[in-house]
This record gives sequence, structure tokens and C-alpha cells, in this order.
Amino acid sequence: MPLLQSADWPLLIDLYFFLAGLAGGAFVIAAIADLLGGERNRSVVRVGYYLALLAVIPCPIFLIVDLGVPSRFLHMLMSLKPDQAIGAAAINIGQFHIKPFSPMNMGAWALLGFSALAFLAALSVFLEDAKRGRDLSAFRATVGIIGGFFGFFLAAYPGVLLGATARPLFQNGSFLGALFLAVGASSGAAAIALILSFLGQGAGGTLGQLRQIIIPALLLQAATLALFLLRVGMSGGEGAAQSLALLLSGPYSLIFWVGAVAVGLVVPFVLQIVTRQPGLVAISAVLILVGGFLVKYVIIAAGQVVLS
Amino acid sequence: MARTVAMFTDVSLCIGCRACQVACKQWNQLPAEEPEWTGTYQNHANFTDKSYRLVRFFEQKDDKGGLQWNLMSDVCKHCAEAGCLEACPTGAIYRTQYGTVNINQDICNGCRYCVSACPFGVVAFNHDTGRASKCTFCNDRLHNGLGPACAKACPTESIQFGFRDELAAKARKRVEELKKMGYKNAQLYGEDQNGPLGGLNAFFLLLDKPSGYGLPVKPRLPQNNVFVDSLLSIGSALLVGIGAIVAFRERGGKE
Ligand code: SF4
Ligand code: SF4
Repeated sequence: MPLLQSADWPLLIDLYFFLAGLAGGAFVIAAIADLLGGERNRSVVRVGYYLALLAVIPCPIFLIVDLGVPSRFLHMLMSLKPDQAIGAAAINIGQFHIKPFSPMNMGAWALLGFSALAFLAALSVFLEDAKRGRDLSAFRATVGIIGGFFGFFLAAYPGVLLGATARPLFQNGSFLGALFLAVGASSGAAAIALILSFLGQGAGGTLGQLRQIIIPALLLQAATLALFLLRVGMSGGEGAAQSLALLLSGPYSLIFWVGAVAVGLVVPFVLQIVTRQPGLVAISAVLILVGGFLVKYVIIAAGQVVLS
Repeated sequence: MARTVAMFTDVSLCIGCRACQVACKQWNQLPAEEPEWTGTYQNHANFTDKSYRLVRFFEQKDDKGGLQWNLMSDVCKHCAEAGCLEACPTGAIYRTQYGTVNINQDICNGCRYCVSACPFGVVAFNHDTGRASKCTFCNDRLHNGLGPACAKACPTESIQFGFRDELAAKARKRVEELKKMGYKNAQLYGEDQNGPLGGLNAFFLLLDKPSGYGLPVKPRLPQNNVFVDSLLSIGSALLVGIGAIVAFRERGGKE
């Protein structure tokens, strides 16, 4: 067994990954709804963009609090460093640095870009609502397209980040980024649906449209999760089987099977298919959010256990 | 760039005295730690933020069913392709002109990515300073032509320091000698610059297979995954995007 150590990222980081995914997912959905008919899909656009902004606001705070030296959070993007080799394909522009193979560095840039665009999108919705007849749709289309790419990136990069470690569970899985992106989409859509049904704005087929996103997103979530487990299981990597056992049959198996799979994926999926009753649809949305958080939490927790 | 330096650790000469571990602590002013019971003479179980050098004691069954002691003085490998360095988002970890890998304590912000990214479990997080730390090959001594403290202290020359090319030649000769003496499992680990991680600047002569010393057989650069994992994520993104477009497309008549 190779002797490895672990960053031991705490719950705060899981929460960040979850919120970042949700924000990215909600933004992308709002952007697509906006581009395909901003007037018709007004409620989804409004809720999606507001939600993306609200969800991303705590993100940098969580990240900064978790740092060993929080006052140095800006070092993620820039630092006064001597002119030395800091990694493959690293780009230095003045004090700024971009490291394409360091997903944490790229993620910090994406978070910055996404936050700015989420703010602009929400602001434009707000300004339109504030004054009848004001039309900012052209501006918002640009923001939506660029921000959509950032949103995708923000949802997926934490999985790629984990994959680029030496932790056996993460390193051998390949599909963590794809899985996290699917979770971002399902939780983003579920959160929008939940808010719309609370506001009583689910009419006009809007909830049906969201269901059309939620169902395939949950399928994608299930498929990427299965592929991830399969890849780890078949990798033959050192320590991979042992960490997989922690997840599937060990101390984390209850949270995984009951929380992330049964309650967080299968039950809400079935509910989405069989019922349109508002109460049950809302419950299903809540379960999707719970499941989306738990699947990230439990994989990260099991993967960070130091094997001996 | 100056000539690449290296550390060659020949475990066949190690007597487990831990002079290297003590010398490292003294030179780098690393405070004492509570000892821990690991089941063998080894202390600690792994590198810590206050132990950059660690003599490992592996107890194995030998061919005749007796006890075989695999001793190995372990240290940061200063990999030619270093997972810690590639992972670091702040640029704190850098390659020195000697080819070694250092953590600039003035830049590290304590994100701990490097701790998870090292294929050998070397980097440790210092909770007092909030920064990551590891062996520097005694960078300050290097700059003054002294060589690392551990290599200076080693009484059996199990740890040798020098230019990489010279040491590698020496190591290859030594492994042949040992094989002739009957150590049929004698092998070099990390000496090959075409091998895993582009070769290690701290390489080893082992008397047993790598797993007998807790070393990964084929250490991988974690960042090699970035490309494929990103492509799969893009595939996932395309599916989500198409799903959303289908859901929100204009439907003739139905509204
Ligand atoms: S052994 Fe680990 S800490 Fe040392 S250079 Fe290689 S990756 Fe970095
Ligand atoms: S803990 Fe410090 S040295 Fe390690 S990756 Fe983060 S910033 Fe870099």
C-alpha cells in the first residue's frame, strides 16, 4: 500500500462544491431559457439568474475561511513571486498566474469570472423588472452565453480537481467532473422548480419544462456515478479497491446507498416520472438537492480516508 | 540552470540509526513531536510537518518464513514531474535552479491541494503556520555548497548527495555488485529519467520490490488525468445543454 496523505478538506468545501454546481446549473438553465424565449420563459430566467447569484455569494467566503492563511486568498490568482518555474504550461502575466493543469487555480479564475457575470445577469433582470418597457435582452444574451461557459466550468471543475490528486478513489475514477456537472444541472433545475412552486409561478408548463431537464439530468447523474464506480473498480490502481470498499460496503455505505442513491436519486426520479402533484414534485426537488449534496460529500469523505 | 543535484539512498547500507532524521530536525529547526507507537521502531507513521526525513522500518516475511527487516530512509523525491508543484494554485511550489522542488512559505496560502497531490504522501500541513511543508534538500545549505544535513550525518553513506548523473552511474554499478553478491531483488527506484515521473531526484536502491517499502510500483503524475476528465465533463455538459434546449424550445401552437 503506498503511503499517502490527505488534504482533509472539511464539510465547508463539500458545501462550496455543491453551491458552485447549483449556481452553475441554475445559470446555464436560465441562460438557455432566456436565449430561446426570454419573454415566454420569464419566470425561469428571473429565478435562475437570481438563484445563481445568491448561491455563488457564499462560495468565496467558504473557500477563504478554509485556507490556512485566509489573508492570502488572492494568491490563488496572483502573488509577488520570484521568476521561477511553477508548473507545466503556466502563464505569468505580471503578478498574475494561470496554471492550466492546476484545476484549483483555474477554478479560482472561473469563480471570479462567473461571479461577475452572475451579478450582471441578475442586475439586468432586476433593472428590467424595475422599469416597464426597459429591454436589456441583448446585453443579457451576451452575458448568458459567456457566463454559461463559466457556469459549466464551475460545476465540473471540482470533480476534475479531485481527479488530479493521488487519492486512489479520485485518481482512478475519470468521471468525477462529468458526475459533478450532472449534479449541478439536476440541483440547479430542482432548486428553480422548488422556488417557482413556492411562488406559485409553476403554471404555464414551466414546471413541465423543468421536469424535462431534471429527468435526463438525473439519468446522467446515475450513469456517470455508475461509470465512475466501474472505472475505479476496474482500474486495479493501488488502494483503489480498498477505498471503493469504504464507500460501497464500509463506514460510508449507509450514506452512499440510502442517502445519495435511494433517497437522493431513485425516489425523486420516480416521483418526477409518476406524479405532477405539486406537493410531491416539491418533495422530489428537495430530495434531489439532498442527494446532490450527499453524493459529493460521501465520495469526498471516503476518498480522503488515509489507508494503511 | 545549474547541474541537477540528487540524493541516492542505498538501503543496503542503512542501519536504522536515524542520524539523518535527527540531523534534519536540527538543521531545519523542527521541534520535537510526541512519539507514536506504530508497531515497529518507526516513528512517525508518515512524514509530518515537523519530520521531513523518516526512517521506515518494514517488517516482512523472508523466503524461509523468518523476519526480514526492510529499512529505508525516506524523503521527498523532488520528482522531475512533481504532482505537488503542478497542483499548487498559488505558484508557491517551484523548481529551483538545482532541479529540486521547494515550497515558498511566503506565498503558500494553506489550501492543502499539494498534500493530496503528492504520489508519495510527502507534503504535510502545518497547522501552526497554516502552510504546507516538506524537505527542501536543505536549500540554504545547497546555496552555500554544504549539501543536505541528512547526507552529511549518515554514518554509513547510505545517503549520498551529489550531481544526478554521477550518482546515477554510481547507483547502477552498486546494484550490479549487490546482485553478484546474491541479492537477487536488488533494484533501483526512480533513477531512470525515462521512467515514471521523469525520474526522481531522490532515488533509491532497494533490496526488495517497491511495495516492500511502501512505494507505489508505478507512481503517476495526477495532472495527467486533467485532459481526459475534462473531456468527459465537456461531454456531460453537451448532454445537459441539449436537454435544456429541448426543454425550452419554442413549441408551435402550444404555449
Ligand atoms: S515526492 Fe511529492 S512532495 Fe516531493 S517533489 Fe514529488 S510530488 Fe512533490
Ligand atoms: S498548501 Fe500551499 S504549497 Fe500546497 S498547494 Fe496550497 S498554496 Fe501550494
